[in-house]
Amino acid sequence: MSVDLHLPRRQFLGNVTSGLVGVGLTQLMSRDLLAAGTSTGQPHFPAKAKRVLQIFCPGAASHMDLWEHKPMLEKMHGQPLPGEENMISFQGKNGPLMRSPWKFSPAGESGKMWSSMLPHMAKHVDDIAFFHGMQSKTNTHGPGCVFVNTGHATEGHPSAGAWISYALGSLTDELPTYVAIPDIRGEPPNGKANWSNGYLPAKYQAIMMAAHQPIRNIERPEGIGASTEAKTRELLRFMNEQHAAFRPEESELQARMSAYELAGRMQMSAPEVSDFSSEPTRVHKMYGTDSSNELKAAYARNCLLSRRLLERGVRYVNLYCSSRASGVDGLLNWDAHKTLKSDYERHFPIFDQPTAALLTDLKESGMLEDTLVLWTTEFGRMPTRQVGTAGRDHNPDGFTLWMMGAGVKGGTSYGATDDFGRRAEVDPTTIWDFYSTVLHLLGLDYEKLSYYHNGIDQRLTDVHGGVIRDVLA
Amino acid sequence: MKFPLLCNFALAAWFANSSVVVAREVDFEKEIKPFLEAKCLGCHNPNVAKGKLSFATAEEVFGESELVIPGKALASDLYLVSTPEEPGEQPYMPEEGEYLTAAEAELLRKWIDEGATWPEGLVLHETSKADKTWWAYQPLHRVESWSEVESGISHPVDDFLNERLNGVGLEMNGPADRRELIRRATYDLTGLPPTPGEAEAFVNDESPDAYRQLIDRLLASPHYGERWGRHWLDVVRFGESVGFERNTIIDNLWPFRDYVIESINADKPFDQFIREHLAGDVIGKDDPDIEIGSAFLVAGPYDNVNNQDAVQKAQIRANTLDEMISATGQAFLGMTVGCARCHDHKFDPISQKDYYQLYATFSGVRHGARVVATAEQKQTRAATLKPLNDRKADLEKERHRLEKLILARVGAKKSEYETRWQRPAVDRTGTEEVFPAVKARHLRLTCESRDDNPAATSGFRIDEFEIWSVDGVPRNVALASEGATASGPAREIEDFPNAYGPQHAIDGKAGARFISTGNYLSIELAEVTTIDRVVFSSARGEETPEHRKFVFPADYRIEVSLDGEVWTEVANGRDRKPVSDAHRDTRWKKEETSPDEAEQLVELTRQINELNRQAGLVPALPTVWVGTRVAKDAEGPFHIHIGGSPQKQGEAVVPASLSTLSEVAPTYELKADADEAARRLQLAEWITDPGNPLAARVLANRLWHYHFGTGIVDTPNDFGYMGGRPSHPELLEFLAIQLIDSGWRLKDMHRLIMTSNAYQQSSEWREEAALVDGDSRLLWRFPPRRLSAEEIRDTILAVSGKLDKSMGGKGFRLFHYMQDNVSTYVPLDEHGPETYRRAVYHQNARASVVDLMTDFDQPDCAFSAPERTETTTPLQALTMLNHQFTVDMAAALAKRVQDRGGDPVESLYDLVLQRKPTDQERERVVGALGSIGLEAVCRAVLNSSELIYLD
Repeated sequence: MSVDLHLPRRQFLGNVTSGLVGVGLTQLMSRDLLAAGTSTGQPHFPAKAKRVLQIFCPGAASHMDLWEHKPMLEKMHGQPLPGEENMISFQGKNGPLMRSPWKFSPAGESGKMWSSMLPHMAKHVDDIAFFHGMQSKTNTHGPGCVFVNTGHATEGHPSAGAWISYALGSLTDELPTYVAIPDIRGEPPNGKANWSNGYLPAKYQAIMMAAHQPIRNIERPEGIGASTEAKTRELLRFMNEQHAAFRPEESELQARMSAYELAGRMQMSAPEVSDFSSEPTRVHKMYGTDSSNELKAAYARNCLLSRRLLERGVRYVNLYCSSRASGVDGLLNWDAHKTLKSDYERHFPIFDQPTAALLTDLKESGMLEDTLVLWTTEFGRMPTRQVGTAGRDHNPDGFTLWMMGAGVKGGTSYGATDDFGRRAEVDPTTIWDFYSTVLHLLGLDYEKLSYYHNGIDQRLTDVHGGVIRDVLA
Repeated sequence: MKFPLLCNFALAAWFANSSVVVAREVDFEKEIKPFLEAKCLGCHNPNVAKGKLSFATAEEVFGESELVIPGKALASDLYLVSTPEEPGEQPYMPEEGEYLTAAEAELLRKWIDEGATWPEGLVLHETSKADKTWWAYQPLHRVESWSEVESGISHPVDDFLNERLNGVGLEMNGPADRRELIRRATYDLTGLPPTPGEAEAFVNDESPDAYRQLIDRLLASPHYGERWGRHWLDVVRFGESVGFERNTIIDNLWPFRDYVIESINADKPFDQFIREHLAGDVIGKDDPDIEIGSAFLVAGPYDNVNNQDAVQKAQIRANTLDEMISATGQAFLGMTVGCARCHDHKFDPISQKDYYQLYATFSGVRHGARVVATAEQKQTRAATLKPLNDRKADLEKERHRLEKLILARVGAKKSEYETRWQRPAVDRTGTEEVFPAVKARHLRLTCESRDDNPAATSGFRIDEFEIWSVDGVPRNVALASEGATASGPAREIEDFPNAYGPQHAIDGKAGARFISTGNYLSIELAEVTTIDRVVFSSARGEETPEHRKFVFPADYRIEVSLDGEVWTEVANGRDRKPVSDAHRDTRWKKEETSPDEAEQLVELTRQINELNRQAGLVPALPTVWVGTRVAKDAEGPFHIHIGGSPQKQGEAVVPASLSTLSEVAPTYELKADADEAARRLQLAEWITDPGNPLAARVLANRLWHYHFGTGIVDTPNDFGYMGGRPSHPELLEFLAIQLIDSGWRLKDMHRLIMTSNAYQQSSEWREEAALVDGDSRLLWRFPPRRLSAEEIRDTILAVSGKLDKSMGGKGFRLFHYMQDNVSTYVPLDEHGPETYRRAVYHQNARASVVDLMTDFDQPDCAFSAPERTETTTPLQALTMLNHQFTVDMAAALAKRVQDRGGDPVESLYDLVLQRKPTDQERERVVGALGSIGLEAVCRAVLNSSELIYLD
């Protein structure tokens, strides 16, 4: 007889219902605890994508100024938004409709109307699947970013990268599984909650690093030489082996020794991954790391770092282009409340060339075949101007996200907002649908990937979701 | 076996159904309603309305959708989709869960054919998986065998455990050794290691009550409250920043942390403690020591962004109250009440109505700080301030009188001034000054008044400042590309240098602006140049220059210099038209004030400032983040939010007890306009009522959880269907009743639990036992554990001799806090002595990641954390090896070893591990001392597994 009568509910679910908790545990034992071989968690069904690059433009990058052309705004510029003449949104009153300050013209074979401010990105238009009918629950940046990263507008839930690390484990022994790369201008709204492990074990949180910011505590303390270090570790290993020898059944003790070995390997690999000196000049030029625009050069270096992390086996990279809402909005991120034109004419050049170069690089190296690229922002902007300004307020009711790469049907535009860009009208899509599709491409069933916490089998897609098959190749 | 209640229920239903193949009319309530609620309403209720269909009311079923056509079952969709088309096929519905049984289908057909009578006003509700008969909602009951276990022959706790162990052929380990035991007990009760002296004394104390004395000593230690207070702070999601976008740090919630520690040290009855959490401000009005308890309500995260969108605003308020409701349900009742926000709880018998009754209960609570002081403190302060304020009011009156007098004199001179002010007012999109050609190396713009506020001279913005040369083809020599540099105090963002710096004024681009924090912008040219013109702006090319984003100088002067020392004014804006009446008045005042009057004004201002200074010296009343209570917010009426949306109001609700326990605990229902304080007090009393079995059960289980690592119910916040089942149900009842009998005092409970053999047994692993019960849920051994993040840091400080044991007060920070509209938390690379206090005094901010604390699984305090996870990661190794804290502590430990004298290896093992080294260890360490030195050896020891694992 066994004591399964009192098997906790979560284990019961893990073994019988989801099966995935079991996977998580196996992976925990096999890789991170014992660091044996390179076995990883198993997907639920054959996967198209092995790894994910998620580019995040915080501040609510305006869908109708970047991705979804709205000719009606040109026609009705200066006139009130029909039906919502007295709209009050996040910052208050709205004025009349305002056209995009930039020209759009057809791009690629698909002939999609394309902003003149994204000339480099134009060459990828036929590889991208746009979700033009996105809707959010919140009109506030912090909760909005957290919503798009975790599927929940309240903080404390695991981010998509944490869920995927939990489900699939690591592809490398030398680098973290999940890396968040903040912008040189700072962290996004709500900061580290965006790449949190939430209630998943701490090991699934993202490790922060950037070209301008090494992994914390990766370097040996000052004044401790290599030989002292080696002998210190030797002594430590001896002590820990002694301690573990009397407790052969405690797998955590073995795991802890393995963690020290793994840390040692990370200390060797991490500086190498951030050292771009081996990259040819051609690559630097392509990304723009040599730009005189310091912000662009910094982001370009983070794009290059992303490629190097992904090619060395990092499972999930969460790359940020811009940061939080500053005291003077629109300066540090895409939050153009007052001066859309001058704000975005600063942001576009930072984003365009480096991002396009990263995508080109992934494509040329063949990595795009099993890498899924996501472009995200927390919500959209209003088609109107804010009263007394030349900027747009927050709009959670319609915006664009996109994906490309592994298993994605390029040149697709799924869903649409209305003629003005005000609300998702055709195929309204939630972040839960978006992540259901992402998980599907990773071979994961969004309804099965769950973790018990405070009364619920929690999921990345909450109690919602549905795979959007129109964008699958 | 797993869900006996459900099985019985299903069985009963089956019997009921199988007996209905009779001719009498179908009874809807008894025969149809149960299976509709169990099998259909899960999706088809007003909240979820899958396929836009709900079966909750007659209107919905017989109305537009025509789900049921009375008299015609075979034309009714409800019947058709839920029964197979052909025998043996699967029905179309339900998509998930069980199909109707043949008997149920037959009843449904019969009911429809008979005319489908729906009792007037009857509303169907989705059935939860567990109902009111669920084990956790039953009254506490004394188990029969208690008379035996209480006889004192054996230990009651062991008796309960042994019964289960024996049932599977297992028995407990023998006792742990003395060192193991004192380490276990000391960490358990205080979160600290025993000192070498304490360990030695205990190991050598052969008196029979040595262990009891040890427990008494530890329970009397103030560190007990720090350890068990920390547990409780996890449960009540105590965090010292508001979370969400702004995540502003909270500097005045620490008194709640001290309140928790002090209450636990004082062994305050826990039912009283709970009442103070919910209504401390009511029962302890003007008694700060009690009032502070109610900070529990607002110790969680909330969204404090000022949203103007009414729909979003309502949603945010609902989220804020939801946070309080969820925290309350989990902490005190082990109920996931929050799951009933959008629909009836799917698993537990908690209705949406229950949820919104709590919503009405908490509706008067808002986050924020307010004065928490005794009436006497308040009076004393007011009495001290009164004379100062009276005098100040007199002086201000006098100053105002004088200023009015001065302005009154302008009268006839108005037109004179207007002829002097002829040039157009400044223009934010471009203001030009032309002056006689002059040689200059430096040029300076000084702001004398800002265009939105004549009294301000700083804070103006410049997107571009041009200086035009005279010789040859005139060009803008102010450009950085011409070699010029700009300077001037500017607004700073710590993590983004020069975000608003003066370089923006000479970069040749509009768009980004210099934001001054002084009154000037200074430009140094590459060389001495002859110039005759400047153009400056804050909104060049902007469509809406009037926006406050483009604040600009209104009155100014422009000066040049060759050496940066001697300045000559070349232009000013004093003959421009004033930008506003306020600016005009300011100019008038300046011109009309006589020297005498000026002197008087200066003197008056001086005296007022002096009074302000004196008032500032009177100690402020303490303000604490206990939240405010807003009667107006509590006015209601409150309704169920259909689907969780505040925009969709359902049935009206009033503050009332949860229906879940209506059969076992007393119930209450308050009037809709009941005082908001009364609502919380009533709830507090209901939760702690002796008839309410949950509070005691949940608390007893938490105690067990912290002592043994896993609760009798292994989901301490969830005693519902989704939670774990008790491994020892009778033991849990026993403990809960003991808790109540002991007057809700925890210290007696610790004594009871810790004196059991189960607690004192060794942690030795035995294969034959592990095969049966790998996790030792049945406690055949004491489960070993890793120390928590706080214990690890405290231990390192303690063994290195650096732990600062001072208690209470404002917390310390292991991060650097930056604020620029929103907050950023950057972990510190060095930890000074001010951080050497116990980790419970760390100011834990939400969504901040702080090295050792986060690496070792300190939870983010976004939610209640009923248990700590224990993960093992390379990051832990990186932090423990390489953070300066370890290096500093290794040095401190080395010094401590040296200072002690004697054999360093012996000392080291004694101080850190409270034991002697083995011969092999001695040999290795001696070798290492020779090759890498004592500090390096200490660094290794501080990283050792033995330091952070407890047997």
